[in-house]
Amino acid sequence: MKILLGILIFLIAWQVFSVVLNVPLILPSPYLTFESLSHLMIQSDTYQAIFSTVWKSLLVLLAVIAVGIPIGFVMGINESIYEIFRPAVTVIQAVPVISWLALVVFVWGIGWKGPVVISFLSLLPISIFTTATGVRSTDKNLIEMAKLYKVPKTKVVRVIYFGSLVPFIFSTVEVIIGDVWKVVVVAEYLCGSSGIGVLISWARQYVDVPRIYALTIITVALGITAERVTKIAFRKILSKWQISS
Amino acid sequence: MADIILRVENLKKDFDALPVIDGWNFELTKGEGIAIVGPSGCGKTTFLKIIADLDGNFSGKIEKNFKMIGFVFQEPRLIPWISVMENLTFVLPDKEKILHFLNAMRLGGFENYLPSQLSGGMKQRVNLVRALIVDPEILILDEPFASLDMPVKFEIIEDINALRKQKRFAIIMITHDTKEAISMVDRVLILSKRPSKIVEEVKIELEDEERDISNTAFIKTESTLMKRIFYNMR
Repeated sequence: MKILLGILIFLIAWQVFSVVLNVPLILPSPYLTFESLSHLMIQSDTYQAIFSTVWKSLLVLLAVIAVGIPIGFVMGINESIYEIFRPAVTVIQAVPVISWLALVVFVWGIGWKGPVVISFLSLLPISIFTTATGVRSTDKNLIEMAKLYKVPKTKVVRVIYFGSLVPFIFSTVEVIIGDVWKVVVVAEYLCGSSGIGVLISWARQYVDVPRIYALTIITVALGITAERVTKIAFRKILSKWQISS
Repeated sequence: MADIILRVENLKKDFDALPVIDGWNFELTKGEGIAIVGPSGCGKTTFLKIIADLDGNFSGKIEKNFKMIGFVFQEPRLIPWISVMENLTFVLPDKEKILHFLNAMRLGGFENYLPSQLSGGMKQRVNLVRALIVDPEILILDEPFASLDMPVKFEIIEDINALRKQKRFAIIMITHDTKEAISMVDRVLILSKRPSKIVEEVKIELEDEERDISNTAFIKTESTLMKRIFYNMR
């Protein structure tokens, strides 16, 4: 109920600002935007674009997890490796998207690979650093207990280190799921051949501002839905980890 | 002296430039129980870690004639995301033996519970079961009852004493509680302030039935022990 009230207040504020500003090129009214959205929702191109953005986002998510978690794990478990890798990962994190763009367009041109690679590189450091932090924060008392009882190292890694990592992996996935849509759409806008970002790029060329806003609403809805579904799915599993011994 | 399972000779330990343990000497025989009492920061837990091979940075000689120790930590150190049974099979993959000890420690039926679903006393019992399933020749107790209320504490002590009669393991116990010490051990080593030395050894000469906090002989022994502790720690 409160959420609905919040949405209503947001829409009223939007309507008021659009009337006061009276420049539809900057802020179209909610009516114009939702009219454009309803047009979009009956076009098959929109669904193709959504599908294109969704699969790219999922691919980025999987790649970031598959690459980031092992690297983060190794960095977390060994202080020397952490110090050796840290500068490289920090540099990747700090490189602006536009620099990747130049490189990616030069190598692959316009297509699906560019947005995927740019999004992957933008999100990879988050995954690496979160995983490394998780491993480094493993309870040293549990490691000491395992050492005392001469528990095999593989078992210690599997049960204690991986177990300690679970909440961090889940929070990484939550953060990335929230961000991946935005990053993929921006990358599509810059160098993609399909997807919501490309539709936004075309709408910009036709100065169709209500359409840009409508496509933004679709992106936001996708992001919020994915985040909510993930949170609900993770809540039950994570309840084990949220309570300490 | 074949039944000596631990001999400590001139044990010294420094933390950087800070001397903590300053020449401890004592022996522990098979099935014997000793308690070590002393002021905070005098190296009691450090000593236990040395015995358990968790700290190898010391001088002096430690002769070990045992294969396995069980360590009851001050805090339960249970892995929160796995069940009681999984916590125990983590150390020893023998479910039948584990169930036997869980029943002996009044934890039958709780094997599938998560640590967070257990009370403080139950967690400490699991900590104890973990130490016992490895068939220790020495059971090390590092202030294991500090956070427990009195009835729970003495219930667990009773269970340990019963198991000790069957299994004949020795005990090294760190405690600040003279009642705990008298209930469980044969000798109490009293330490001085840091850098600590063993300044006195008090023998607890009580029969099994006298090791009850309401027993007159127990109360008398406790009074004597407390006087010795206060005298040496001053």
